[in-house]
Amino acid sequence: MLSNTGNLILLLNILLSFLIIYYSLKCIRLPNNIISRNIYQLSLLQCTTILICFFTLVAAFLVSDFSLITVYQNSHSLKPIFYKISGTWGNHEGSLLLWVIILTIFSFLFLILNKNHPKNYRLHTLIIQNLLILGFLFFILLNSNPFSFVNPIPKEGLGLNPILQDPALAIHPPLLYIGFVGSSIYFSAAMASMITNYSNKLFAQSIKSWVLISWTFQTLGILVGSIWAYYELGWGGFWFWDPVENASLLPWFAMTALIHSLLVLEKRNSLYFWTIILCLLTFILSVMGTFLVRSGILNSVHTFANDPSRGIYILIFLSLMILTSIFFLFKKYKPANDIINSNSKETFVLINNWFMMFYLITVLLGTLYPIFTDALTSSKISVGPPFYNSVIIPIVIIFLFLMAIGPQTRWIKNKFTNFKNIFYIIAGSIIINFTIVYLFKSYSFISNLIIISSLFLIISSVSDILKTQNINFSRIVSHLSFGFLILFIGLNHNFSEEKDFNLKLGESKKIDNYKFILQDLELTQKSNYKSVVGVLNVNNLSTNEDRTLKPEIRIYDNPQTLTYEASIQTNFLRDYYLTMSNIDRSDYYNIKFQKKPLMIWIWISVIALSFGGFLSLFRNAKNN
Amino acid sequence: MKIKIYALIFFLHFSSILSANQIVDQNTIHKNLRCLVCQGQSIADSNSDFAQTLKMVVKDLINQGKTEEEIYDFLSDKYGDWILYKPKFNLENFLLWFFPYIVLVVGGFIIVFLIKKRSKKV
Repeated sequence: MLSNTGNLILLLNILLSFLIIYYSLKCIRLPNNIISRNIYQLSLLQCTTILICFFTLVAAFLVSDFSLITVYQNSHSLKPIFYKISGTWGNHEGSLLLWVIILTIFSFLFLILNKNHPKNYRLHTLIIQNLLILGFLFFILLNSNPFSFVNPIPKEGLGLNPILQDPALAIHPPLLYIGFVGSSIYFSAAMASMITNYSNKLFAQSIKSWVLISWTFQTLGILVGSIWAYYELGWGGFWFWDPVENASLLPWFAMTALIHSLLVLEKRNSLYFWTIILCLLTFILSVMGTFLVRSGILNSVHTFANDPSRGIYILIFLSLMILTSIFFLFKKYKPANDIINSNSKETFVLINNWFMMFYLITVLLGTLYPIFTDALTSSKISVGPPFYNSVIIPIVIIFLFLMAIGPQTRWIKNKFTNFKNIFYIIAGSIIINFTIVYLFKSYSFISNLIIISSLFLIISSVSDILKTQNINFSRIVSHLSFGFLILFIGLNHNFSEEKDFNLKLGESKKIDNYKFILQDLELTQKSNYKSVVGVLNVNNLSTNEDRTLKPEIRIYDNPQTLTYEASIQTNFLRDYYLTMSNIDRSDYYNIKFQKKPLMIWIWISVIALSFGGFLSLFRNAKNN
Repeated sequence: MKIKIYALIFFLHFSSILSANQIVDQNTIHKNLRCLVCQGQSIADSNSDFAQTLKMVVKDLINQGKTEEEIYDFLSDKYGDWILYKPKFNLENFLLWFFPYIVLVVGGFIIVFLIKKRSKKV
């Protein structure tokens, strides 16, 4: 029953999209500047029906209707209700439905919230957005239908991968999707802008809020994913430069560049084509990321759903998007001749974009290069954290300095005087750096530079608050928290302690200034898993502090899976992180113990960073 | 005067780092080695048997007095370059290592060119 309902609603949505396109085309030909009411109504209807479609799938998960293949493959009748619901988008088919919902809702909101922009521009945006919606609806129906029927109906589902049964991972996809699917709306708007020659600062205003919304959610989505990886994957890190992680970072770089270049377009009516390219690029990278993740072309720790046949479809869709974009860019390109002075704010925005493109290309190349070498020379290589760290980190140092100086410049004028001030701030940063190094008693050359440059950014941003009358809080908050983010990552990375050793029950071991005792192994039985809980006593010999950490080895029932749960003790100064794993054919356990300073501040910095996005959004909404 | 002191501190600091760089760090090596039976994890992060065994191999090699580079060469001969997270500098990986910097330099030139062309002559 639910299967048929779902399929019917999907078909209805395809019909609605065609109708919207048809009426929009008709309305464009009319000479007045009014969008006919039936377009609004159809668009609202479209939103409503796609939501009903989604709730139909949620209902199927809730009642465990295993006649739907998606429910059968990803759910189990004994699963907690919360994970039955989050299981709806925790799989390929369901998440595509979520994808279409965001496309549709953004399409509707853009239509009704931009009433003071010209009719043709809005209608063209609507048409292109609906073409995107159609592309994904056909993809769902032809290849990845969550409402596909299984016959005979299975009695029980296969269950959801236990490491996906997690609150952070329940909210991670929706956040990330608002981010990178949200970027579709300025892809459409950029196309519409080229087609209708709506290329002035008003165009920048019409998409600014959307860029900020998607950027903020993308940032939060990446954060939640990282936190999940930190406590769930059990290696104590939060970012591995894994292809799937990179796929979420690539659009983020493009969006960040876009936020800045949009300022120039809005204030100075300049850099129009570059801004358009960034609009197009952001969504293209989002779709490309989806292609890489879902096609299974990449080997990744996060690959939970892949199938080559999906890849072909997305690849065709992606190529069409890219070709159309390039076609319009060439057709509409006009060389601009606006004034850009050195040391003006425009220049520094360009510098921001320049570095963002560097990061983007480095990460893109690192992600795709193994695919090319494999295909061309059949030699398999890996590109991992040591590569990205050594290519990107030296450049980040320069970037942070420029990021501190940029906001102090003015529009148009090339006036820049504060050399003395800059010198004092650098001197201050160096002193603080050596104090830190002295306190932690461990350092490397590059980490010093990272700490100094991030301190420079932090102090400069703070001193901006004191100096300027007309404070742009959103910018200061974002830049300041980015400075803190890099500072904390640097400190955390550099001053972490890591011990890796084997212990058996009752044994104790002394490593450096720690003493570890595996006191007990407790067996527990929970509703959906059994677990072995290790009771580990960790004694810090220099301070004689005692603490007990309880890592777990879990054996889940449906499906049968072994997972390792880290034991984490957090406070504002440091995290203690401990994992335990069994070693085959032995009664020893492998223990990994880490002390990670200032871990929680990394998360707080990212939250503050996205808060900067929200502030900017409110400011923008108030001004327009 | 102040500046001279800073410069001195910085110089001393820098030279001490250069000399401290010779120690082979086991953890750095672990982080650079892919766990071949896992999906995208280094052996430092993995709980698998393969990772455990490989860590012992690395320990042995360090005890034999091998340098970091020699250990990577040894392991990539045995398992292929797939095992190294930091690709080697060679002809095949030339673009991977240098293209980002080429982009950086070209980007810089574009900006300089743009400003030269478009700035208001005073």
